[in-house]
Amino acid sequence: MNSLFGDRTAILVSWGLGPNIARQFEIEAKRDGAKYIEAEHMLLALMADRGGAAATAMMESGLDHDRLHKALEDEHRRTLAFAGMSAPSKELVQATALESPLTFGTSAKSAIRRGLIATRVGRRGRRARIRETELLVGILQAELGTVPRALAIAGVDRTAVISRIMESE
Amino acid sequence: MPSSPSPLDGPADGLAAASALRAIADEMEDAEVERAMRAGWTWSQVAEALGVTRQAVHKKHLRRLLLAQIELRRRSGE
Repeated sequence: MNSLFGDRTAILVSWGLGPNIARQFEIEAKRDGAKYIEAEHMLLALMADRGGAAATAMMESGLDHDRLHKALEDEHRRTLAFAGMSAPSKELVQATALESPLTFGTSAKSAIRRGLIATRVGRRGRRARIRETELLVGILQAELGTVPRALAIAGVDRTAVISRIMESE
Repeated sequence: MPSSPSPLDGPADGLAAASALRAIADEMEDAEVERAMRAGWTWSQVAEALGVTRQAVHKKHLRRLLLAQIELRRRSGE
C-alpha cells in the first residue's frame, strides 16, 4: 500500500487530480504550519478550486473555502479550550520549515484510500483514477477527527453531501 | 465498529485535544531548539534541557538547523 503514497504530485496527477490541486495540498498544509498533508488540507485545496466539482458540491451545503477555514480555526480553538489552553502565538512556534515535499499524514492517506475505493464502485478497468468528487467523498466519509469536527461546528451535513454526489454520478 | 460516536463532545474532544497538544509541543520544540542553537547552545545542553539524548536531538533537528544556516557549536569530542 505504501507505494500508493510515494508522495509525489505526479502520482496524484496520474490518478486524475489536476496538478494545481495536488500542489494546493502542500500550500494549504504549509499555511497551517503542518508537517504532513492531512485531510483538512486536501479539503481546503479542493475548495480553493472555485468552480471545481468538489467546491461546487460543498457550496450547495453553504460551505466555501473561507467558511471552512474559519470552521477549522473554530475547531482548533474549541479543542484547545477543552484542555484549558489557547493557541500559542505564531512567533512562539515559528521554526524554519523543511523545504522537501510534505508527505501525507494518516487522515489524508485514509481519505485517498476511501476515495480510490469509491472510484472502483461501478467502474471497470484496473487503473484507479481518483477524481475531485471521489476524493471529496473519501474525505467526508471520515466519521471522527478534525474534518468531521469542523464540519459539525459549521453545521454541514456530511452524509447529505456524500449522497448528493453519489446520486449525481 | 458499533454506531459511530459524535465527532464532537465526550472522548472526541479529549482525544482531539491530545492530538492538538502533541502538534503544538512538536512545533514549540522545533522553534526553541532553533532559538537555543542560534544563541550558541550545544547539542548536549539542548538535549539536557529537553531531557532526551544528544543523539535524539541531533537526529530530529540537524537537517532543519542546517537549512536555517545556523552555525552549530561543537565541543571537543562531539
